[in-house]
Amino acid sequence: MIVTRSWLNEWIDLSTIPTERLVKTLNSIGLEVDSVATYEVPQKIVFGRVLECEKHPDADKLSVCKVDTGDGIKQIVCGASNVRAGLDVVVATLDAVMPDGTLIKPVMLRGVASEGMICSSKEIGLGDVHDGILELDGSIGKYTRGQELSTHPIFSDTVIEIELTANRGDCLSIRGVARDLSAAFDKPLRDRTFREDEDKRVGIGRILSLWHENNLDVEIRYKAVDIKKFVLPLIMKIRLTQLEEKKESAIESLMTYATHSSGVILRAYEHSFFCAAGETMAKISLSRDANGFASIKTKEKVASIVGVSQEDISKVTFSEGLVLIEATYIAPDVISKKMQEKKIPSGAVYYRASRGSEPDLNQGLNYCISMIDSFSDSSVYGGTIEIEEAYDDKIISISKKEIDEIIGANIDKAKITKILKNLGFDTTKSSADNFIVAVPRYRHDIVNKQDIVEEIVRLVGIDNIPSKPFTFTEANSFNDDYRNYKKRESYRHKAAYNGFFESVHFVFDEKKVLQEYGFETVDEAKELLNPIVNTLDTLRTTLLTGLLKAASNNSKNGYASVKLFEVGSVFDAQRNESLKMALLLCGDRELQSLSNAGKPSKVDFAFFAQKLSNVIGSFELREFATKHTLSHPYQCAEIFVDGESVGEMFRLHPNVEESLDLDVTYMCELDFEKLPYALKTAKTTSRYQASFRDLSIVMPKNMPYEKVKDVISTCAIQELVRFYPVDKYSDAVLGENMSFSIRFVLQSNDKTLEEEDITKAMDTILNALGSELGVGIR
Amino acid sequence: MSLLKQWYDAIQEAQSVDKIEEIRISVFGKKGVLAAEFARMKEAPDEEKSKIAQELNVHKNTLMNELTARKIVLQTLELQEKMRAEAIDVTMFNSSSEAGALHPVMQTMDRIVEYFSSMNFAVKTGTMVEDDFNNFEALNLPKYHPARDMQDTFYFKDEMLLRTHTSPVQIRTMMSSKPPIRMIAPGAVFRRDYDITHTPMFHQVEGLLVDKEGKVSFANLKFILEDFLKYMFGDVQVRFRPSFFPFTEPSAEVDISCVFCKGEGCRVCSKTGWLEVLGCGIVDPNVFAAVKYENVSGYAFGLGVERFAMLIHQIGDLRSLFEGDIKLLEQFR
Repeated sequence: MIVTRSWLNEWIDLSTIPTERLVKTLNSIGLEVDSVATYEVPQKIVFGRVLECEKHPDADKLSVCKVDTGDGIKQIVCGASNVRAGLDVVVATLDAVMPDGTLIKPVMLRGVASEGMICSSKEIGLGDVHDGILELDGSIGKYTRGQELSTHPIFSDTVIEIELTANRGDCLSIRGVARDLSAAFDKPLRDRTFREDEDKRVGIGRILSLWHENNLDVEIRYKAVDIKKFVLPLIMKIRLTQLEEKKESAIESLMTYATHSSGVILRAYEHSFFCAAGETMAKISLSRDANGFASIKTKEKVASIVGVSQEDISKVTFSEGLVLIEATYIAPDVISKKMQEKKIPSGAVYYRASRGSEPDLNQGLNYCISMIDSFSDSSVYGGTIEIEEAYDDKIISISKKEIDEIIGANIDKAKITKILKNLGFDTTKSSADNFIVAVPRYRHDIVNKQDIVEEIVRLVGIDNIPSKPFTFTEANSFNDDYRNYKKRESYRHKAAYNGFFESVHFVFDEKKVLQEYGFETVDEAKELLNPIVNTLDTLRTTLLTGLLKAASNNSKNGYASVKLFEVGSVFDAQRNESLKMALLLCGDRELQSLSNAGKPSKVDFAFFAQKLSNVIGSFELREFATKHTLSHPYQCAEIFVDGESVGEMFRLHPNVEESLDLDVTYMCELDFEKLPYALKTAKTTSRYQASFRDLSIVMPKNMPYEKVKDVISTCAIQELVRFYPVDKYSDAVLGENMSFSIRFVLQSNDKTLEEEDITKAMDTILNALGSELGVGIR
Repeated sequence: MSLLKQWYDAIQEAQSVDKIEEIRISVFGKKGVLAAEFARMKEAPDEEKSKIAQELNVHKNTLMNELTARKIVLQTLELQEKMRAEAIDVTMFNSSSEAGALHPVMQTMDRIVEYFSSMNFAVKTGTMVEDDFNNFEALNLPKYHPARDMQDTFYFKDEMLLRTHTSPVQIRTMMSSKPPIRMIAPGAVFRRDYDITHTPMFHQVEGLLVDKEGKVSFANLKFILEDFLKYMFGDVQVRFRPSFFPFTEPSAEVDISCVFCKGEGCRVCSKTGWLEVLGCGIVDPNVFAAVKYENVSGYAFGLGVERFAMLIHQIGDLRSLFEGDIKLLEQFR
């Protein structure tokens, strides 16, 4: 919503209120000021009058003018086609510095001296008001020749853009904003009643008849005017430029202007549009159309839909002729509900109607008619034709105590009464402790006690309410959600300490890509209805694709080593949400530096597994084949923690690495809920010496270590603390076999192990390996 | 005696600790010069013996002192030399952290949660896929309400939707537990908007406090938010502006004095000196009616975590936050 100081001033006296205070007040009463801009027309630009105007002897498009600039008559050469004698204009005199930096100095133009410049609106920084030089008229108020433009209220106006919240339709007009300011400043609105001389006028009934259905839930009111010599006055042109309204016919522009001023939805129709051929009586019919909207029609043609739109064919294109001016009101909840049921094309009118336009139709019509009256020789027909609805003000009752409790401060009763009265609320029926508030129709947003309190709060000013700490009967705030939040935090910290950067991606993904890689996708019946772009047209079912995309970008950005992780939500085919954690490692295992001669080794499976165990603790790996096709088929594992599968880790398939321009890449994805977060329990540790034994066995190359591990574990040797592979060797003699060395750590809680205890343990293992797997010492 | 004289010179000329050791053995060893001199003393006449012994002892002490002194000098020189050989060019080893980092938005979220959980607010979470009732209806946003325009929503084919705020968590909490309630709901939310200043997903923290009717006031809301904003942004001014939200009444937007220009007016604050950071208000009775609470009062507030993170860390580009961009992330080690 755009307002200007001078425009507001037409409704409320702001002469004693500096702009800074005005802006602060608007903000504090909940009309958020988005921007403030004051016109700054440079010095030495003055009002003047063209006295004589003749063609330039040597140039077709130039005119030589004698211009009265207050301090004398100047000769000025002008290139505009609309310059003419008798015109009041804006003149940049010698030494003026234009907004674009141009200095005005005496020049010779094709041999003719010129001492100044006649200006267009753009040249003085006012925007594109109209073509050619600015043509001044009486609509801008008094001015004298020689007066600096910067001292004139219209040319030094301040444009304020207000960001309105959705409930404040009542402030979608200059008058509405002025009404709110009137409560804030405790100043009355100016009376702008238009008094018409009814007796002399021909009644509107002679040229218009209205037929309508009942129960349309609309109010409508017509006046008729015979327009003569109506030219849009300069002040309206300037202000419509400030509103950035597009240029239309003079009458259409006037409707826009009057609507913006008064808040009443106004439209103009050519009278003849509603007349049957050869007739002088216009017949308007108002009925529900097929979609249930109240529509204004002739017998055959639709002219407009109340609160929604107007057909171009019914708009006024001439500047002289008989015109019907219509004011309408439809309650915002009625029109919004209707639009919700059946969406039809709509324009700016709908925006205004759905947020609540001004219901006082007479006020808007009169404003509009008074404008036509003062700026043309038109004649207005007497009276109006209208449909009115009965409306009773909403009554809300609230006690002083309730107000104080909600606000948390004691607000003076007289002050409350004054605020409500200035806002147009009737409080005359109130008792000593109780406010009985009648809410005016234009405040459709006020429905309950809290709404009344809100009005009081915003006008008292939140700054004037003291802060108070709240005392609370404690409930236990520690719950599962908080525990899960802390668990998440703890894993994220561990990942970051271990070199991974936390990445956050949208939970959207591209369905096609997910399907190509063989991931499950959300069922069609539960799919997104209105995705924002094709590449984000479904919910992600994995974190892997997002991390891959990020890795690819970072790698193209010159990072030889990429380490990323994300903890986030994914969805299954049934759209159930679950939390996953994914990590990615790509390229160099460390930074290039002196210590690795600039050529660090690449990451490999073992390196990734070690990093992963830094983050999630101990785990076991089993051979695995992923359901998706991102993985390298021979470097792929299922991850088990405490015997439960928690996810998968793998090297990225070489084809995928290539297609994404990635170096060697490893990734894993884990079910976050399955990751451990229990407190650790300490085991008894031995005080006796530990013994180490290496065992080299010959086993087939393709036998997974997992089997060997299982066999050793099932031996259940108490003294065996841990064991791990330390060497792997194969040669021609071994053929399809390899020599595989495992190191065993043995330790007892009760004594230092004797040689024979160790031998016995190793024998048990060897025997088991022999009988279960058929492998043994070389 | 003159035989001893040369050893004084030898000590002074010695250039290494090893040489000193050699001299020590040559002079003080069992077969050394001193031992020999003492042996020769036996051959001298008795009356001279005591004088010779005296002289020899003086030499012995002096030589030992000089030897020790010279040794210390040489040891120091040798250590100096050794260390000089170990010299490195320290300028080649500028910082090269291999640590990762937490995402600035998540770090900010953690700080916000930390504040409110230390104020005894319970943390509550919910699902991203929600229904119309919990996301809109119960929050006083009936189907035709114009404020629904403010939140362009992602819908699914089965009429479910992606939550546009974390308020549904508050509704679900109120439906499943009795007052008093003091909670925050942190999490990702979704709006159908994608440009320089909007992403289709972002993060919010919303708070709710409910207690007996007449107990919770606007003044209480002001207190906690002023305190919270000073915790997050340091020494800033806080101002409340009346505003409108369908689920609160009275409602306010909260601004802090611009953290970039200290309120002087700059590009970030559009020359206003203020930055909008929060929305809040007293819970609308229609919300309580929807969850069947009676005789209660409460306040609620909500904030965008990305906005906080961008202001606190002076991050310029919103979209860069969702790209896993290490160039950005490595600054948050």
